[in-house]
Amino acid sequence: MGRPGFSPRGGGGGFRGGRGGDRGGGGGFRGGRGGSSDRGGRGGFGDRGGRGGRGGFGDRGGRGGFGGRGGGRGRGGDRGGRGGRGGRGGRGGGRGGFRGGKQVVVEPHRHNGVFVARGKEDALVTLNMVPGDAVYGEKRISVEEGEKKIEYRAWNPFRSKLAAAILGGVDKIHMGPGKKVLYLGAASGTTVSHVSDIVGPDGLVYAVEFSHRSGRDLINVAKKRTNIIPIIEDARHPHKYRMLVGMVDVIFADVAQPDQARIVAINAHHFLKNGGHVVISVKANCVDSTAAPEAVFAGEVNKLKAEKIKPQEQLTLEPYERDHAVVVGQYRPPGKN
Amino acid sequence: MLVLFETAAGYAIFKLLNEKKLKNVENLYLDFESPDSASNVVKLKSFKKFKDTTDALAAATATVEGKMSKSLKSVMKKLVASDAQEELAVADAKLGNIIKETFNISCVANSSVQELMRGIRQQMDSLITLPAKEMSAMALGLAHSLSRYKLKFSPDKVDTMIVQAISLLDDLDKELNNYIMRAREWYGWHFPELGKIVQDNLAYAKVVKHMGFRTNAINLDFSKILPEEIEQEVKDAAEISMGTEISDEDILNVTHLCDQVIEITEYRAQLYDYIKNRMVAIAPNLTVLVGELVGARLISHAGSLLNLAKHPASTVQILGAEKALFRALKTKHDTPKYGLIYHASLVGQANTKIKGKMSRMLAAKTALAIRVDALGEDTNAELGLEHRAKLERRVRELEEGKSRRISGSGKAVSKWEKYENKSQVKMYNDTADSTLPNVPKKRKFDDDDEEVEPKFIKTEVEEPKVNGDSEETETPKKKKKKKKDRESLNTTADTTQEELDTSQNNVTSSEKKKKKKKKNKQGDD
Repeated sequence: MGRPGFSPRGGGGGFRGGRGGDRGGGGGFRGGRGGSSDRGGRGGFGDRGGRGGRGGFGDRGGRGGFGGRGGGRGRGGDRGGRGGRGGRGGRGGGRGGFRGGKQVVVEPHRHNGVFVARGKEDALVTLNMVPGDAVYGEKRISVEEGEKKIEYRAWNPFRSKLAAAILGGVDKIHMGPGKKVLYLGAASGTTVSHVSDIVGPDGLVYAVEFSHRSGRDLINVAKKRTNIIPIIEDARHPHKYRMLVGMVDVIFADVAQPDQARIVAINAHHFLKNGGHVVISVKANCVDSTAAPEAVFAGEVNKLKAEKIKPQEQLTLEPYERDHAVVVGQYRPPGKN
Repeated sequence: MLVLFETAAGYAIFKLLNEKKLKNVENLYLDFESPDSASNVVKLKSFKKFKDTTDALAAATATVEGKMSKSLKSVMKKLVASDAQEELAVADAKLGNIIKETFNISCVANSSVQELMRGIRQQMDSLITLPAKEMSAMALGLAHSLSRYKLKFSPDKVDTMIVQAISLLDDLDKELNNYIMRAREWYGWHFPELGKIVQDNLAYAKVVKHMGFRTNAINLDFSKILPEEIEQEVKDAAEISMGTEISDEDILNVTHLCDQVIEITEYRAQLYDYIKNRMVAIAPNLTVLVGELVGARLISHAGSLLNLAKHPASTVQILGAEKALFRALKTKHDTPKYGLIYHASLVGQANTKIKGKMSRMLAAKTALAIRVDALGEDTNAELGLEHRAKLERRVRELEEGKSRRISGSGKAVSKWEKYENKSQVKMYNDTADSTLPNVPKKRKFDDDDEEVEPKFIKTEVEEPKVNGDSEETETPKKKKKKKKDRESLNTTADTTQEELDTSQNNVTSSEKKKKKKKKNKQGDD
C-alpha cells in the first residue's frame, strides 16, 4: 500500500519487524495522511478541531492567543469529517478490516497493555474495556479465546500522539495495567479511551480538559468507562481540582500551549509521586513558531530540567506529526544521594 | 499546626505532630513512603464526610472558586471551638485568606505546605480510614457531577449563540452563492441573456420563478421585481434569445432551485437581524465601533467575548490574519496590518495610504470597547460612540494631511509617510575594504577627527560580511590597529610633536601592512 507516511519508522524498537503499517485500506481511518495537513484544515461538520486549526462547526476555538499557531494541524478533528462512517456494513468490502478474525493474530506489544494485531496489515490495538462499543468510530477486532470473547480497538497513530510515540519506538510509556495516569489535554477522549484500556479496571485516568465543547464528548466517553475521571478545568490551575485527583504514577501532557512545560511542572508538584514519570508531547509551533523545532525541543527539555524533571528520552513523531516531539522524563528521580 | 486537606469524600483535618518537619521539606517525602512512618508525621484529627453528592458538589465548586462552602464552615466552627490558637495549613492561599477573615485563624499556604500536601496525598488511603473503593467512587461521582455542572452553567453561552449564528451566516452566504451560480448556469441554457441583464441575485431568482419559459416574458408584469427599463430589456431579449428549448420538467426543477434561493435569502436577512440585536445587547460598544458583523466575527474568532477581551489591541488588529502573521514572522518580513478588522467601515472608508494607521487606531479603541463590554457594569454605547467620533475626526485630519493644532503648528511639519522598519539590515560598503589608497599620507588631526571616528566604528560593526579571500580577511585587523592609533591621537592631539610622530607611525604601519599583505599573497601562492 503505497500510502505516504505509513512507511515504517526505522525498524528499531516499536514494531518488531518494522512493518509499521496501520491498517489503512479503503474505508479505514480518514484516508491516511495525504497532504500531511489532513486533519489540520477545517474539518467537516462537527469537527472537533479546536486547538490548532479552525474547526468548521462546533469549533472549539483555541485556548489562548492565536488558536492557529502557524496553521498546524488541529487536534483530533474527527466525527463528520471522516465522512461516511455510517453503517458499518458500508465500509467492509473486500479488504478493510479484521472482520472474519481468522487471519488476525493479536499478540502483546513490548509495552504492557498494548497489543499488535497482525493481519494483512499490522495495527496497534488495545483491549477494549467496554466490548461492543467504539469510542470514535475506530475499528474493532473480536477474538475468541475459549469461551470468552474479547475485543480489541485499533489505535490510529495519526490521531493519537501516544500511539505515534509507541510506533516511533519510545522506550517506555510508563503506563500499564493498574497505573494511575493524569492526562492533561484530554480533548474529546480518543486517546484517553485507549489509555483507559491500557490501565484497565484497576488503574485510573484523570482526564483534564479545559474546553467545554470537547469536554462534552469526554464526559460521554467517561460515562462508559469508570476508570476515567473527567475534569473540565484549566490545567494551569491544578489546585482547582485538587479534591478530585490523588497521587499519580505518570502525567501525560498534550496541551500544545506555549507554557506547557510550566503546566506540566505545577501539575507534577501537586500530583506526581516521587520517581513518577512525565510523557509530554511538544508541538514546536505552539511554543515558538519562528524558532527551529530542534531548538524549541531543547528549550522545553531545559525548562523541565529546571523543574526537577529529569529528561530520559526524546523522540520525534515524524511520519505522523510534523515538528512534534515526545519527551519522557522522570520527576524527582530517586537514588541521587 | 493543623492541616486542612480536601478530598472527594470530605474534609480532613490533620495534626502535624512534628512542626520541625516543615522546616526541611527536602526529605519530607521519605516520611511518607510507608503508612507507618506517615502516621508518625501527621495524625487524622477529624474527618467530615460529605452527606451526599450535592453536598460534595457544593464543596467542590467552592474549592474551584477559592471560597468556603457550608460544610467547610461547619468544620471550621468545630475546629475553632476546640483549638483556636493553632495555625492552619491550607492548599489554596485564597481560601486561607477567607478562613483567616471569618474565623481569625492564621493560615499558611506555601511551598512547604504544598510538599506536606503531597505527602498526605501519597498516603491518603491509609491516613484517612475510609475504604479505598468508596473514596474512588466518590471521586468519580463528584468529577462527573462537577463537569456536568460546569457545562450546564457555562458562562459564555450567550457568546456561543453569536458564534454559531455568525458561522451559519457565513455558510449561508457561501451556499447561497453556490445555488445562484447553479441557477444562472442552468437557466442560462434557456435564456442566456437574462444573466447579463439582471445582475442582482435575488431579482434573478424571482424573475426566473415568475417567468418560467422565456416566451412568457412578453405577457408578464415584472414591475414588482424589476425597474421599468430593465423589465423592457428583459422582454426584448426574451424575443430574440439564442437559448435552447427546455422541457416543462426542466423548468420545474429550475423554479425549485429559485424557490430555495429566495427562501435562503429571506432566512439570511432574518438571521442578520438576529445577530444585530444580539450584538447590540451583549457588546454595544464593540458594535458601534466595528459594526455587527465584524464584531461578531471577532468574538467568534476569539471563542467568546471574554476571551476577546483578554487580547491586546495589537492582536485584535490582526485577528484573522494569523497565517500571514506567522509567515511574516518566520520569513522576517513585515507583519500584516489588518485582519478581520479590515472590513470595519472605518478602515474601509479610509484611503489606502492610511488604512494601516486607521486599522491600528481602530484596534486600540476596539480593544478598550471590548473590555468595557465584557467586564463593565453599564450597558450603554457611550464610550463606543465617543471613540468613533474621535476616530472619524482623525481620519479627516489624516486625509487632509495637516495637523489642526492652532499653536505650535510651525514646528510640526506633519508628513504622513509610510512607516519603515528602522532595523533593516544595512548593506556592506565594499569601498570601505580597500582602505589603503583612501588614507591620506598626511592627515591633519584637528577637530573634525572626532566626527570621523564613529564612521569607522560603524564600518567595523558591519564587517562580518567579508568574503573568503585571505586579502580581505586581513582588513579588520588592520583597521583595528589604525583605530587604536587614532584613539591615541585623540588623547594627545595637543602637542604637535606627537602629532608628527603618530602620523609617521601611521604611515609606517600602513607600509608594514603592505608588506604583510605581500607576504600573505606569497604564502597563498
